[in-house]
Amino acid sequence: MELPQLLQCKPFECENPLGISLREAFVLLQSQLKPPFSLKIPNPSEYSQLNLAIVYGILTQPQLAKTHLTHLHAIVTDGYCFFTSTLIKLVNDSFPRLLGTPRTQLLWLTSKLVDVSAVKIEALLVLLLRWIIGGDFSEPNLWLCAELLKMFLDKWEWLSNDPLVLTSALFAYLRLLADHYRLAGGVKLEALKRMEIDFCVRVLRECFGLCLKIGRDLVRLLQDVVYIPELKELWKDLLFNPDVFRVSGFSDISQLYCVRTPKHYFLLRINPEMETELRFLLSFVKWGSQKRYQVWFAKKHFSLPGSETVMVDIVRFICCAHHPSNEIIQSSVIPRWAIIGWLLKCCRRNYFQANLKLALFFDWLFYDEKHDNIMNIEPAILLILNSVPKYVDITHTLLDFLFLLVDNYDFNRREMIARCVSTSFSLLLQKGVVHSFEPLTSCCLLAPPIHQRLAIFIAPKSTLNSFAPQVITEGEVGK
Amino acid sequence: MRGCRIQCPTVSMAYPCRTPARHRESWRMVFLKDIIPAATNTVNTKFIILDKGNKSQEGKETTCVALVADETASVYFQMWGGECEAFEPGDIVQLTNGIFSYHKNNLLLRAGKRGSVEKVGEFTMMFVETPNLSEIRWARDANNPKNFVQEGVISVHSRIFSPLT
Repeated sequence: MELPQLLQCKPFECENPLGISLREAFVLLQSQLKPPFSLKIPNPSEYSQLNLAIVYGILTQPQLAKTHLTHLHAIVTDGYCFFTSTLIKLVNDSFPRLLGTPRTQLLWLTSKLVDVSAVKIEALLVLLLRWIIGGDFSEPNLWLCAELLKMFLDKWEWLSNDPLVLTSALFAYLRLLADHYRLAGGVKLEALKRMEIDFCVRVLRECFGLCLKIGRDLVRLLQDVVYIPELKELWKDLLFNPDVFRVSGFSDISQLYCVRTPKHYFLLRINPEMETELRFLLSFVKWGSQKRYQVWFAKKHFSLPGSETVMVDIVRFICCAHHPSNEIIQSSVIPRWAIIGWLLKCCRRNYFQANLKLALFFDWLFYDEKHDNIMNIEPAILLILNSVPKYVDITHTLLDFLFLLVDNYDFNRREMIARCVSTSFSLLLQKGVVHSFEPLTSCCLLAPPIHQRLAIFIAPKSTLNSFAPQVITEGEVGK
Repeated sequence: MRGCRIQCPTVSMAYPCRTPARHRESWRMVFLKDIIPAATNTVNTKFIILDKGNKSQEGKETTCVALVADETASVYFQMWGGECEAFEPGDIVQLTNGIFSYHKNNLLLRAGKRGSVEKVGEFTMMFVETPNLSEIRWARDANNPKNFVQEGVISVHSRIFSPLT
């Protein structure tokens, strides 16, 4: 019998070591994988081998998958921990190389593991969400997107009791919906959009209390889909009728602004390969040697017509989820702001450029010294300052955009936002991220209105009179 | 018969580039800065492909010169046949039993008839472009004419592939 294949292997490509282990276990134990199953209790090493063989069997033999699954249920003694961990490793390292049948089988298997509440099933589901590539509207990618969503709807009972997976799925699908809704496509795409809308609305309407855990980025994502009628309704309720969400204590959208979004959400729209490459770039590559890496990264991740959308997610990832150590910050490794500057240059369409800049400044608008991290707002100020000598247009565009946000992001709460932006400027100075704003205030290439606005924001707090009510800090009492 | 250079120790043809692990352990890996021109297939090294030139014909085979590098040096690597299509800039490549020698007056690293190459990764490898070992003038060692020694630098950078700035 010819051996069924799991992973695609191109000529001259080294075979994946886990792929080898899985195949070897399957070949070795093939005779034991059909009934009658042995009643002997396997020792630890036999147990792992049997698990590996069953992974290979289920993923490559659809006609025998049910038998293999029964076998798995019969032998399992660790809550499926080793089995699911093996799938996680495989999906993390090799999802793009999984062949068609194994992909279909993987989704079927995952839903079966949800049914038995397998240990680590949450991590597997989150990982699968990460492999839905943003801006990739190809058939296989939309298939993964639709199949996972069907599974979530199918397992609603389970999902609504798992805050991590529920909110991760909401985060991912709100983001995907923003891109899909703008696309015109066939029946399949229309059905997918419909399903995405229904799912997001259902999660938000039925489990809003859990959604609050996402924090302020939930607002950012919602604003991107607010032109969709069902979500417009929801948005209106959020602004004017928050009681309909029946969450005690929740009475105003600004409560959501105050919650810094936990790091793990930003990984959801960055696939594992992209994460490895970005972290490598920002941990090892020296300033001046980044050009070739940037070319390779762009070729791999920005080559599709819809790819610009991912740049927005990368900016959020860099600001909020990749914080280099002091050792790296002081070394000659390329800093985060420089990579963001490069992304800003790569991003051509206005819509994505605006979203990218919003992503860069988002934490400035709600910055609270107690709960926020200075590292989230650091890249923006360094990009603004370091662009002055050679790329003053970037400095100008960024400051202009920041002031535009202060005035317009949330008109009814603009004083609060202005205060937060002012706090951001003063903390960046106070904590030594920047030594002075002098390069900005003395830069004659910035337009006068920019200078005027800037002067207000970087003025010492006691002289501010436009952001009532004033907060008296310890430092000001003695003055 | 260059196409048959890759040894196939496994039973299945679907895995043409697999080399048994026990062989790997016995390889002595070298950095590119330490390779010396010689007429023997003894170079075991790992590098990242920085740039690829145009394909050309040598007899019946397609060839293609690439700029490759590791964290110590760069060099020109000549690809043959299927290798020309299989490898792209950004690929990390393991060379086993390769040869570093003069080929039509150019000093090139290649797998040769007895060596093999396989892609082992992408992107995550550090490199330097200077020195480029193919842009160094080598001379016979006065004490041991069998060996080559470095005599001088022809060019700091590759004269074929311009560095990105």
